[in-house]
Amino acid sequence: MGRKIDNIILEMKHISKSFPGVQALQNVSFQCKKGEVKALVGENGAGKSTLMKILAGVYQPDEGEIILRREKVQFDNPHDAQKSGISIIYQEGSLLPYLGVAENMFLGREPRKRLGFIDSSKLYREAQKLLNKLKIEIDLTAPVYNLSLAQQRMIEIAKALSLNAELIIMDEPSAALTTEESDRLFQIIHSLKDHGVTVIYISHRMQEIFHIADAVTVLKDGKVVSTSSVEEINEEILIRQMVGRDMEGRFPSKSEVEKRKGLSVVGLCCQEVLHDINLEVRKGEIVGLAGLVGSGRTELAKAIFGVRCLDKGAIHLNGRKIKVKSPRDAINNGIGLVTEDRKKEGLVLGLSVKKNITLPSLGRLSKMGLVSEKGEKRRVKKIIQELDIRTPSMDRQVEYLSGGNQQKVSLAKWLVIESNVIIFDEPTRGIDVGAKFEIYSLMLDLARRGKAILMISSELPEILGMSDRILVMREGKIVGELLPEDATEEKIMSLATGLIKNS
Amino acid sequence: MVKLKEKKFSLDKLIGMGRGRETVAIYSLLIALIIVSSIISPDFRTSRNGVNILRQAVLLGIVSIGQTLVILTGGLDLSVGSIISLSACLTSGIMLGRAELILPVVLLVLMVGTVIGMGNGLIVTRLKVPPFIATLGMMSIVQGSLLLYTKRAIGWVPTTFLFFADGQIGPVPFPVLFYVLLFLTFFVFLKKTTFGRYIYATGGGEEIARLSGIQTRFVVFITYALSGFLAALSGLFLASRLAMGDPLGGQGYELNSIATVLVGGTSLAGGRGGLMGTLAGVLIMTVVGNILNLMGVPGFWQWIVKGLIIIGAVSVYRRID
Repeated sequence: MGRKIDNIILEMKHISKSFPGVQALQNVSFQCKKGEVKALVGENGAGKSTLMKILAGVYQPDEGEIILRREKVQFDNPHDAQKSGISIIYQEGSLLPYLGVAENMFLGREPRKRLGFIDSSKLYREAQKLLNKLKIEIDLTAPVYNLSLAQQRMIEIAKALSLNAELIIMDEPSAALTTEESDRLFQIIHSLKDHGVTVIYISHRMQEIFHIADAVTVLKDGKVVSTSSVEEINEEILIRQMVGRDMEGRFPSKSEVEKRKGLSVVGLCCQEVLHDINLEVRKGEIVGLAGLVGSGRTELAKAIFGVRCLDKGAIHLNGRKIKVKSPRDAINNGIGLVTEDRKKEGLVLGLSVKKNITLPSLGRLSKMGLVSEKGEKRRVKKIIQELDIRTPSMDRQVEYLSGGNQQKVSLAKWLVIESNVIIFDEPTRGIDVGAKFEIYSLMLDLARRGKAILMISSELPEILGMSDRILVMREGKIVGELLPEDATEEKIMSLATGLIKNS
Repeated sequence: MVKLKEKKFSLDKLIGMGRGRETVAIYSLLIALIIVSSIISPDFRTSRNGVNILRQAVLLGIVSIGQTLVILTGGLDLSVGSIISLSACLTSGIMLGRAELILPVVLLVLMVGTVIGMGNGLIVTRLKVPPFIATLGMMSIVQGSLLLYTKRAIGWVPTTFLFFADGQIGPVPFPVLFYVLLFLTFFVFLKKTTFGRYIYATGGGEEIARLSGIQTRFVVFITYALSGFLAALSGLFLASRLAMGDPLGGQGYELNSIATVLVGGTSLAGGRGGLMGTLAGVLIMTVVGNILNLMGVPGFWQWIVKGLIIIGAVSVYRRID
C-alpha cells in the first residue's frame, strides 16, 4: 500500500478553471507516477493546455489542489513550478534563434566567474554533460536557427533536465517532425524514463501514444473521460472517447467519377530544390504527395503556385500551358493553395472571417474598386453554411476560431474564387480528430465536384486513406508512384528514405 | 446548423478592424478632456475657441491621415516633417505673391511630395530597406536639400492663397470643411474599397496577403506615395497659414503624427486600427495644446503632457488586448 502511494509523484485534485464565458476545466483529477510517460489527449478545446498551464504555474486554478511528492503546492508563476522541478516544452519552442546551443540551455543561469563574467569553459562542460546523458550529438556552439526542429526539441529537453526537472510536459513535440526525427525523440523520452523523469505527453497522433505512453488520460469538454493504461485500450476506443461518438472509419468513403485532364507539371526544375518534376492531377482526383520534411514537397506546391521561380519546365491546366510567375497568376488561373502554416501564410489573424475568406476574390466582388458589401456578405454566408464553419458571426476575427474552423476558412478562400485546382499542404496539422474527419469529407466532396486536388501530408494514414494515387518525393525528385490498394506505410517510407530506388 | 448572428449594430463595424474598445477608450478620453477643460477655463468653452481648435487641428490632421495609411501596412514615415517644410518653402518661394501661379505651384508641390513618397516606397519595397531607416534617410536628404535652397524664411504668398488656411464659408472655416471632406474621402477609401482592404491585409500579414494574390509591394508603395502627397498638402496649408515658407516649419510633425496615430489606437505592427482613432488622436493633441495655452502654461509642459498621453494611451491598449 505505502509503496504504491510513494510511486505517485503528482496529483492534481478536483481542478476547476473558468475563463469569461467558458468553463475550461471542471473537477478534473489527474495523476502521474514517477518515471512514467502519461499521454494527455482530447480534441482542441478539451482543456489539455489549460490543465498543463495550471501545472506549469501559468494559470491558477479556481478550485482544487496540486500535490507534488505528497506535499500540497501552489504555483503563483512559472518560476515557482520550475523550482519545484516541473518544466514545460511548448509546441512553438522557446529557444533564442541567434544564440548558441549551450547559451540557450543555460540562459539566465550562466555559470559565472568573478566580476560577473561568464565562465564559458564551465558553460560548455556542463552543457556537454547533459547532451551526453541523453546521447545527443550536436555542436554546442551552433546557433539554434541552424538546427532542425527535432534537434531544437532535444535541446529544450536537455535544458529542462538542467533545471533538475522531474516532470516534463511536452505539448505536441512531434507536430512538425518527420517520422525519423520522431523516433529519435522517442528514444530520448525513453532515456528520460530511465532517469526517473516523468513525462506528460500531449499529442494528436494516435500511433505515437501507443508507441511511447504507459497510460493515457482523455479529456473532453473540460472533464476527464477516462484514464487507462495503454494495454487496456486501442485506437478506436480512444478516438470514440475523445469525440464522444463512433466514427465510421476515420476516412469518409470515396466515390468514382470520370477523371478528365486537370493540372499537369512537366519537367519542372527549381534551383537546387526541385529536379525534373513531372506529375498530373486529373479533375476529380486526389493525389497524395508523401515524403520526408525537406524532400521538396512544400517547395513544389509553392512553385506551382508561383511563389518560387521556375528555372525550367511548364505547368499545364486543362491541357493548356499557363504562365505562373506570381501567386496572383496562379489564382487567376484557378489554382488555390491551402498553406501548411496557417498563422504565417494562411490567415490574417486580426481580420474577420469574412475579410479573410474574400481576400483572393475581393477584386471580383467589387466594382470600380468599391467592395460590393451585399454580394460579399451573401457569398461568405453561403460558404460558411456550406463548410459548416462554426463562428459566432462572419465579423469575428479568425484568431478566436479553433484550428479546424480556421482551416475551413483557409479553404473557403479558394472556394469563393472558384479555384479548380486546390493544393493542400498538411491539411489536418494541429486540428483535432473530429475536425479532421470534416476536412476529409470536404476534400472528397470537392473531388466529386470535379476539382483537382493535390494533398501534401506527413501523416501516412492520411495519405493512404485519402489518395487516389500516391506520389513519393525524395531530395527534390518524385521517386515513386503507388496506388492506395498496393501501398503500405512501409512501402512509402522506404521510397521516401531511399531504401527502395523505385517502385 | 450554423448560427450566424448578424449584429445590426457593432462598434467594430462602425469604427473598424477589431479596435472597437480602443476607439471607445480614446473617444472617452477626448470627451473627458473637453469636459474638464470647459470647467476649468471659461475661455475654452467659447464657440470661438472651439472653431479655433478645429482650425489648429487641420495641419496635424492631414499628415496623420497619410501616416495612418503607412502604419497600417506595418511601415512608418519619418520624412513627412521635412516634406512639409520643403512644400511650404517651394510654395511661397515660387509664388512670390503672384496669384496666377497658385494653380501651377500647387500642382508642382503636390507632385514633388508624391514623388518623394514614391521614393520612400521604392526604397522600402525594392531595396528592402526597413521603413524606419528608409524614411529616416529620406528625411535627412529632403531637409538637407531644402537648407541648400534656403536657410531662412522665404517668399510670400498671394492674398487669395490665404483663403486655404483662413477662409470662411458662412460660419464654417474653409480649412475645417476641407479637412472633413478629405477625411471622409480617405475614410471611405480605407473602409469600402478593395485597396483599403488590401492595406489591412498587407499590414496584418504580408506573406499571407501575397499568397492571396495581393500585390503587396504595390500596396506598400502606394501608401508611401499617398503619405508624401498628404505631407505636401500639409505644407501648402502651412504656407497659407504663415503666408510664407519656413525651412524648419514642418519639424516635429514626423514624430507628432506618429504619436497621434498611435494614441488613436492603430497598431505600430500594422493591420489594426484606422482613421476614426486617428481623428480622436488629432483632436486630443490639439485640445491639450489649446487648454494649456489658455491656462498660460509654458510650452514645454505641453511636451510633457503629450508624452504622458502617448505612453498612457498605448499602455491602456496593451491591457485591452
